[in-house]
Amino acid sequence: MNVYLAAAVFSLSFVFVSIELIRRQKLQEQYALLWLTLGVLMTAFSLFPHLLQWLSQAIRVYYAPSLLFAVGLLFSLLFILHLTIVISKLQRRLTRLVQEVALLEAHRAEERSGP
Amino acid sequence: MKLLVIIPAYNEAASIAAVIADVRAALPEADIAVVNDGSADATAAVARAAGPDAVIDLPVNLGIGGAVQTGYLYAARGGYELAVQIDADGQHDPRELAHILQPLCEGRADCCIGSRFLQRTGYRAPWNRRLGIWFFTWMIRWMTGKRFTDPTSGFRAVNRPIIELFARDYPEDYPEVEAIMLLERRGLRVCEASVVMRGRQAGRSSITPLKSLYYMLKVTLALCITRFRDVSAVR
Repeated sequence: MNVYLAAAVFSLSFVFVSIELIRRQKLQEQYALLWLTLGVLMTAFSLFPHLLQWLSQAIRVYYAPSLLFAVGLLFSLLFILHLTIVISKLQRRLTRLVQEVALLEAHRAEERSGP
Repeated sequence: MKLLVIIPAYNEAASIAAVIADVRAALPEADIAVVNDGSADATAAVARAAGPDAVIDLPVNLGIGGAVQTGYLYAARGGYELAVQIDADGQHDPRELAHILQPLCEGRADCCIGSRFLQRTGYRAPWNRRLGIWFFTWMIRWMTGKRFTDPTSGFRAVNRPIIELFARDYPEDYPEVEAIMLLERRGLRVCEASVVMRGRQAGRSSITPLKSLYYMLKVTLALCITRFRDVSAVR
């Protein structure tokens, strides 16, 4: 079993797992989109190794695998940035939710002690 | 004028009752809302016993920004025309409330900040604190052209338009300096009034050296961003 086959198997299962996670609603589509893109890219490169060769030559990268690393690294950075954006959004929503719960509770206490 | 005094409190069981009593004595006609920011001690129970108009219990700790904003939300929905925020540690003397309310009552300002440094009041902050305050004074002056002698002071009064603004949009943590910039950017009139502050009556400051560094960096960044943010954009 050569490394291309192993990579292809891994990439395909990666895509499969992503789709399965969406199907079971463990992963929302908006976040899954990035994962799927990554999976499809990985599959393409492992099934057609010449693609990588061709691409690196086209943009003057002399050692083809380094292009793979560069793309992987960029993708990871992109994903982390995306996640921190999502966290910030969640944080804002959570803050408002906590505030609303506290205000509701205070309102209820006021009504109980009132008339 | 319907006035709400907002007291954000985090683990201030030792001083909160005295602060509530002092506010009551200084401004009998004002409503008092204590925002208990998920304290681990008996702050909520002690505050309730002191009999403010509302004790708002945050189920988790949000930090000072989120807690103060809860007070402004309460003020916005309760139809209050003026709101004052005052620390629960006893550092701010409620007898000084009249001084920071005066410019608002006279319609001279939209927000008035109680400053320790506007006139010589005998208050001496530690040198590192003074350095930080001096830095932000300089920065706000550089960005807005206006001089605020005590930009980190959390002792401030605001009118109805600002209550509504803060209910929508208020910085999360270390909000004081950033809030000034937010108001200045929207063309609201912010002024200072000289107040005498006491040392904290109980408890400890939440600021450690590492936190001060984070404080400086975070607030500096926030100031720069607020300066260049489109003012019509609501977060």
